[in-house]
Amino acid sequence: MTAMAAERYTGASIKRSEDPRILTGTGRYVDDIKLPGMLHAAFVRSPMAHARVLSVDVSAARELPGVVAAFTGAELEAMTVPGPDALMALMGWAGPTPQFTLLATDKVRFAGDPVAVVIAETRYLAEDGCELVEVEYDDLPPVTDASFALDPGSPPLFANLGDNIARTHSRHEFGEVSATFASADRVSGFHIDVHRHQNVPMEGRGCVASYDADHGVMTMYAATQSVHVTKIAVAMRLGMEHDKVRVLAGDIGGSFGLKIGASREELAAAAASRAVGRPVKWVEDRGENLSASGQAREESFDVRAAVSNDGDLLGLDVKMVIDTGSYPGMGAMVPDIMEAMLPGPYKLAAMGFESTAVTTNKACYVAYRGPWASETFVRERVLDLIAKDLSLDPLEIRLRNVAPRTDPPAVMITGRPLVGVTSRESLERVAQLVDFPAFRRRQAEARAHGRYLGIGVATFIEAAPGPRTPEAGSGPMGNESMRLRLEEDGIVALFTGQMPHGQSHQTTLAQIAADEFGVPFEQVRIVIGDSDVVPFGLTGGSRSATMTGGVTLHGARQLKAKVLDFAAHLMEASAQDLLITDGNVWVRGDPASAITVSEVARRAAAGPFGADVDAKLEVEATYDGGEGGWSGGTHCAIVEVDVETGIVKVERYVAAEDCGALINPAVVEGQIRGGIAQGIGAVLLERSAYAEDGSFQSATFMDYLMPTACDVPRIEIEHLQTVPLDADVNFRGVGEGGMIVAPPTVVNAIEDALSPFGVRIYEQHVPPARILELIAAGDSGV
Amino acid sequence: MVDITLRINGATRTGSAEARKTLADFLRDDLNLTGTHVGCEHGVCGACTVIVDGRAVRSCLMLAVQAAGHEVTTIEGLAPDGGLGPLQQAMWDSHSFQCGFCTPGFVMQATALLSDHPNADEQQIREALSGNICRCTGYQSIIDGVLLAAQRNRQGANREG
Repeated sequence: MTAMAAERYTGASIKRSEDPRILTGTGRYVDDIKLPGMLHAAFVRSPMAHARVLSVDVSAARELPGVVAAFTGAELEAMTVPGPDALMALMGWAGPTPQFTLLATDKVRFAGDPVAVVIAETRYLAEDGCELVEVEYDDLPPVTDASFALDPGSPPLFANLGDNIARTHSRHEFGEVSATFASADRVSGFHIDVHRHQNVPMEGRGCVASYDADHGVMTMYAATQSVHVTKIAVAMRLGMEHDKVRVLAGDIGGSFGLKIGASREELAAAAASRAVGRPVKWVEDRGENLSASGQAREESFDVRAAVSNDGDLLGLDVKMVIDTGSYPGMGAMVPDIMEAMLPGPYKLAAMGFESTAVTTNKACYVAYRGPWASETFVRERVLDLIAKDLSLDPLEIRLRNVAPRTDPPAVMITGRPLVGVTSRESLERVAQLVDFPAFRRRQAEARAHGRYLGIGVATFIEAAPGPRTPEAGSGPMGNESMRLRLEEDGIVALFTGQMPHGQSHQTTLAQIAADEFGVPFEQVRIVIGDSDVVPFGLTGGSRSATMTGGVTLHGARQLKAKVLDFAAHLMEASAQDLLITDGNVWVRGDPASAITVSEVARRAAAGPFGADVDAKLEVEATYDGGEGGWSGGTHCAIVEVDVETGIVKVERYVAAEDCGALINPAVVEGQIRGGIAQGIGAVLLERSAYAEDGSFQSATFMDYLMPTACDVPRIEIEHLQTVPLDADVNFRGVGEGGMIVAPPTVVNAIEDALSPFGVRIYEQHVPPARILELIAAGDSGV
Repeated sequence: MVDITLRINGATRTGSAEARKTLADFLRDDLNLTGTHVGCEHGVCGACTVIVDGRAVRSCLMLAVQAAGHEVTTIEGLAPDGGLGPLQQAMWDSHSFQCGFCTPGFVMQATALLSDHPNADEQQIREALSGNICRCTGYQSIIDGVLLAAQRNRQGANREG
């Protein structure tokens, strides 16, 4: 046996098997696909936020040489099935459900709403055709903010709703809310806003739809987080049987929650392919991506906090409104997660939570990395605001309030047990890594010289997957399935419904399977991206580390047992005496007996064997998350604010994280850093901006500013020794945490830097211009 | 349509394109060099960066006809034998990338940088790559890959010296 066989891949920063193709330009992204006879789609989009569509004339476009077809909204409606958002339907949403068409018909609902589609021989010609489409609009009053949307007199976006409420107001109470507030030493109130910003993967949305009329089969090459969710959406909107839709996907250029299922434009491209009988490609440009792919957040919170004079956070009472834009998707469902997560790792005694979702004339809400993240922003902001009122240190107030790790575990006031949560350890680790007293001295010295440094910390936990619950998981976020097979060439093939788009599953799942089955890493193949061959799955919600890692481990174990049972028959030995290492099956103590696993698989395929021998070297495995557990950690930022220009420089950033056992440390750290970079961008740069009339103002990268290599500092990451909860699977999700906790970390640091000016920050977006306003409005007069 | 002859990755290629066609679209659609990615089509994100006559160029801002008679290198031309060049190898070793969509632009931009400044330090690298957007990584792993390539380059030069 080789030396490698004694080592484990799991836990090591194995180099990614995705990289040789990615580094040489031989990856295959959806825009790289060319099919014979393929046409190109381009959309005519509304310049208005809210207007009646009086007429759409595509006749001139149809006359243009090179244009093959053009469809109005009404024509496309006749070719498809109107209905709700497919993902919301799949997730069992039972609240107000707007019914809508793929292209606007009677009215447009945001600047960028597609009203017609032109299909041509090239994208250039399709765009030429769009220029020739005449649309007549009749203005309606735009509903561009939540307060107007809440007004019963605002013009409803969707006739079937009758108003602009996308989630009916609800209030839930946990613990004795009024008694807690009545008896508290202090009650503080805050209004906190989180601005609209968005995913912006470097590859936008896109698809190639190819309808085979002879067989009635739609093949869709997609950029998606789930080939099956896309398939369900296509079947639903095109009125097709599920087994007549096949969705394929290859490399995907990022998503961060944007590409779940199929968007209206992708479905329209599919309908167009069916109508014209040729493949149709649609790949959005950056303007479409920024204005029409979807946007996230835009929540406001009225918060009351009940506090003791010693700094105990006793209760929170929060009223939130989320602006889900037009064509609402999962935005209306997010308040439930925020409500459950708002207590975080803290021992709150009582909590009230009210929520309402509205629909407005902006691009639709989409999931964005930690869709519920604002619960952490609100809580961690409130803790700092309280700490300032009480002259407490930000670390001190957190250490004071964080629930101790006890057995049985403390339970969040909203119901979930804080089993294995290491928030206290992460706070203590940050205090070791960052010398706070030394920083305070440096801060004071710098201030004396007119330089403003600040330090911020924030803590979070994430249910990735969360503690084991009594009810069985179901739906897209439920149990994870995988098919595993030993191929005749000795490859262990894993068929997974995961659809990685940067998360490195081809590497990490192979590490786990190689260790568990006993083959070299290179002998594991991850099969993804074909709805005809992979089980249901969805890459999202930070679920793949535990759920897919777990099903890989247990599935490989089951497959190995099956292979050994069969090999025992071949080798005339007892299965208990057989081992698999380095791709060989051998009898314990007798290395000369070794035969390769490929030999075993070939013999199994060759047969014949008696009925008592199971020679099918394949298993179907499912995994329920085992004991589950929480991810979490504490981040700390040190910033310098230039009070003349308002520019914030992040000088140092430290993350003490616990995502359980690491599968591949380099991959984990990449996820953490990437999330932090997005959080820094959200605070300092990024905003999806609308004017009062609903026109969109950030449709280019000159207006929507992305963090660059000069904006994101080196990030120091510490992995905490975790608390193992499960006998086998202690990997926990880490995809979203950086983006969840970085915004409050950075804003807390900025507020600390500006404390000599009396600045208090009640919002997440603080670009330079806003910093200068805050300084000017501060109450210190410095 | 305009006939275009140019040198790409060491070979003479010819094609015919509308005058308005960008070099990026010409490479991808007409020459099937799909390694060059289009990320913003307005010259900000750098995903489409290629090297023209030794300089990094945004192929979404250059017309195909403007490249006629010039020497173009794309990601496919860095290691023609199908392997990895030294920078690509260093980036693999450094876990530089995630989704890979911005990768060709970063590799080409960093290739041009190291060719002009083989000893570039971290600050120079950050500034040189600040016109390329990556949404996945937070940049540190990319910077580390370029630093590693520069360091290996120096070690190799020292050995030869």
